[in-house]
Amino acid sequence: MSPSVLQRIASGDSAAVRECIDQYGPLVWSIARRLSRTPSDAEDATQEIFLDIWRSASRFDASQGSDKVFIAMIARRRLIDRLRKTSAEPPMDPVEVLETVAWADPGTASETSLEAEQATRALAELRPEQRQVLELGLLHGLSQSEIAARLSMPLGTVKSFMRRGLIKVREFMNVDAERVLSEG
Amino acid sequence: MSDTRPQGQPDEAMVDLLVKQVTEGLSPAEQRALDVMDSELASAYLRDLERAAAAVTLAGSKGDEPLPAALSARVAQQAAEHFASASNVADLGAARTSAAEKARDQSLAPPSAPARVGRFGGYGWLAAAACLVLAIFGWERSPPPVPPVAVVAPGPVTVPPPAQPVPPTPAEERAALLAKSDSLKIPLGATKDPAAAGVTGDVVWDPVTQRGFLHFAGLSANDPAVHQYQIWIFDAGRDKRYPVDGGVFDVPANAGEVVIPIRAALMVRKPAAFAVTLEKPGGVVVSGREHVVALGSTS
Repeated sequence: MSPSVLQRIASGDSAAVRECIDQYGPLVWSIARRLSRTPSDAEDATQEIFLDIWRSASRFDASQGSDKVFIAMIARRRLIDRLRKTSAEPPMDPVEVLETVAWADPGTASETSLEAEQATRALAELRPEQRQVLELGLLHGLSQSEIAARLSMPLGTVKSFMRRGLIKVREFMNVDAERVLSEG
Repeated sequence: MSDTRPQGQPDEAMVDLLVKQVTEGLSPAEQRALDVMDSELASAYLRDLERAAAAVTLAGSKGDEPLPAALSARVAQQAAEHFASASNVADLGAARTSAAEKARDQSLAPPSAPARVGRFGGYGWLAAAACLVLAIFGWERSPPPVPPVAVVAPGPVTVPPPAQPVPPTPAEERAALLAKSDSLKIPLGATKDPAAAGVTGDVVWDPVTQRGFLHFAGLSANDPAVHQYQIWIFDAGRDKRYPVDGGVFDVPANAGEVVIPIRAALMVRKPAAFAVTLEKPGGVVVSGREHVVALGSTS
């Protein structure tokens, strides 16, 4: 199996750096745009995320997941840290219309990633309102309180939906991983 | 997964805290509450939830927007500088990572993950980094990277043999930058901090290339094992609480006049002030500003 782009960066392959920017720049930029307060914040965050990626490349373990999910994890961490630092600032415009999310189609792992496919299958088993809570929290960066206000839903319900939704996705991912291990 | 997992299941309180950490971050009080729980179990469960959240993010990220060309170029330049500096100095990023972040990083790392600095060391990366910068900006806009942490004391001038070109010193680079019409020169003043007594100097900054140099005399020598000096850039377009990190440096005894390259970690749109603080070795992410030793404002 050929080494991933992160493994190549960690081993000193200079071409992999440019490749990583080209391959994952759109992903990082899209996540940063969604989870930042302003376009300028998103630009700063993107630079910080890539710096985190360079610093963390040697920690990447292919047995724990794909390059893509590793980079998405790094991006989310950095963006959540930044959102917390600016939490005193006003949230997004309350009248802003959130764009509709196009969830990946199950069975298109080659276009997305195995993890995205697993998540999509797990999300398909959730009730629409549960999916909406995950969408607002994970894709648009709203806090649980903000989701509760936006959906006129009790905070406890939002917490419960978020918890159950993530646990459902986690279960799908772990079941798949165990199946792969037992078959391998 | 192939790793060894801790036994037991997290209780509801732990799961609620971990879900909140993954989705929006924890308040200091919540973090303290999590800190007293079973850290091994929390760490393993946190990793799973982070993977799940990342997977949902990927599932909803169909049709990503292209990275803007200018931002892509900045990321590439930053990468070139990062990998070039990794062979010259200790990894500032690792040194600046807080204890909490280090603990969190374990969820990404195998137990015996090798040290990163060594893997990036060597001339191969320096050459590659220089090539990357060249490919994007060309010689005119971005000269070969220089070590971000350097202390240059004046000494006897050595004339290099003609056949062996010598990279310019920071003092020479500063002089060249100063000659540019669009560069800024900001006088630095001492503060009341004991380490600052008698400090004089200036900052030269080029807003176009985002390069600059701190030039001073009279700053007390530091023991790098105890403290290091850190440069900060206050950008008029940013929150004043979070100035841009400009790198760390040391001052040896009897250093005399010193020129330090400034390495802005982020794009500085409108520099409003430059400051030097004394921090723990490796520098900090956010300064407590207990020891501000030099300060200069553009206004």
